[in-house]
Amino acid sequence: MTAPPTQPIPLPRKPAASTASLLIVPSLIGALVALALGIYGRVHSPTGIAINIAGFSSPGTVKSWLATGATVFAIVQVGSALVMYGKVPRVTAPEWIGGLHKWSGRIAFLLAVPVAIHCLYALGFQQYSTRVLIHSVFGCLFFGAFTVKMLILPKRGLPGWVLPVVGAVVFTLLVVIWLTSAYWFFSTFGIKR
Amino acid sequence: MKRNTPLITLLVGAALGVVLLVASMLTTPSSALPNYSAAAASSAAPASSAAPASSAAPAESSEAPEPAESSAAASAPAAAPSPAPTRTTPTADFTGRVGGGGGSVAVAVHGDKAIAYVCNGSTVEGWMRGKVEGDKLVLTGKNQTHLTASYHAGKVTGDVEAHGTDYSFSVPTVSKSSSKSSGLYQATAVVQGKTIKAGWIVLGDGTQVGSVEIGESGEKAVTAPKLDVATMTARIGNVVLHAVPVSGVTGSGF
Repeated sequence: MTAPPTQPIPLPRKPAASTASLLIVPSLIGALVALALGIYGRVHSPTGIAINIAGFSSPGTVKSWLATGATVFAIVQVGSALVMYGKVPRVTAPEWIGGLHKWSGRIAFLLAVPVAIHCLYALGFQQYSTRVLIHSVFGCLFFGAFTVKMLILPKRGLPGWVLPVVGAVVFTLLVVIWLTSAYWFFSTFGIKR
Repeated sequence: MKRNTPLITLLVGAALGVVLLVASMLTTPSSALPNYSAAAASSAAPASSAAPASSAAPAESSEAPEPAESSAAASAPAAAPSPAPTRTTPTADFTGRVGGGGGSVAVAVHGDKAIAYVCNGSTVEGWMRGKVEGDKLVLTGKNQTHLTASYHAGKVTGDVEAHGTDYSFSVPTVSKSSSKSSGLYQATAVVQGKTIKAGWIVLGDGTQVGSVEIGESGEKAVTAPKLDVATMTARIGNVVLHAVPVSGVTGSGF
């Protein structure tokens, strides 16, 4: 982005000037969230154990299913967003699409939280293999990016590209997290409960 | 009001996270970490003295109110016999077979703390923690498991006793070139309502020994399932154990 100078040239559009200032605080908060998660995961000594959910054979399977659920809802997110933005040919956005988008997002986020807590508390930030390192880094980044998305959602006057871009980043991060954990888990140990 | 729903989402998620974290802390049995009486602050920041950014964060963890031993000692040696302020901050991992070859021992030294595990691949095993004092290691664990050793560059030599069995040992540092996966690994899980803690020592030639402590007392142990070092997992029945490294070099597990 061409960081617009504040005064000298007559501004073409008012919102453009304030884009950076609208984004800076949410971005900083998001960065702090990611950093805090990473530092906690690194400093806290992993216990290897956390509260478990009944009905599953091990924490690994619980997490894999929760993460898979979150990813499915995230796909709904992308689909509903595409419809809302009119990017799907011959589909006009129905009235309930906004509600679908909001609730699928909320559910996805709330499904992801217990997984992250188990990761942070029981396993920690690790780097003993590429998969694990990527997962650790992206896991921290995901919650930072999601924080940014939530904080900028209510803001008015942002250029149209901002939300789609941030949303895409959040989605991409989640998919990478899923690929480096649940997908790996299921493909290594088989799909089981 | 309506415009703040994303914030509410965020806060609900954060609250859920905090609740789960606290619940995890409450349900984690104290035995998940080997208890050692001398140094209370088990969760105090690993003495990564060089990291200024991270030093702010651990303040929120439950730092035990015993500043005399833990953090203050780094800067102001009150009565400690360590005269050298240079303090090279040793970080090293040692693994090898004990004398006689009846088992393996692994020692991880991280700053002024050390963790050790001795294991014969069956019932004789034990985790120990303790402090590094000068070039001496004095580590203790449950059931009178203890280790005393002297620490040199490239080698640690001493004696360890677990389950009434004495071993002497002299083991080298983990060589990065020989085998990437060589080292000490642990995993904890709850199986059929019982807390189990597994430990594996993987040597440079790829051989490994491992045991699983059953229950919190750590008295009873059995042979561990093989640790797949590629995936860092092992299976007991259909439970998958996720192993994490215990390493003084990286600080993992401290």
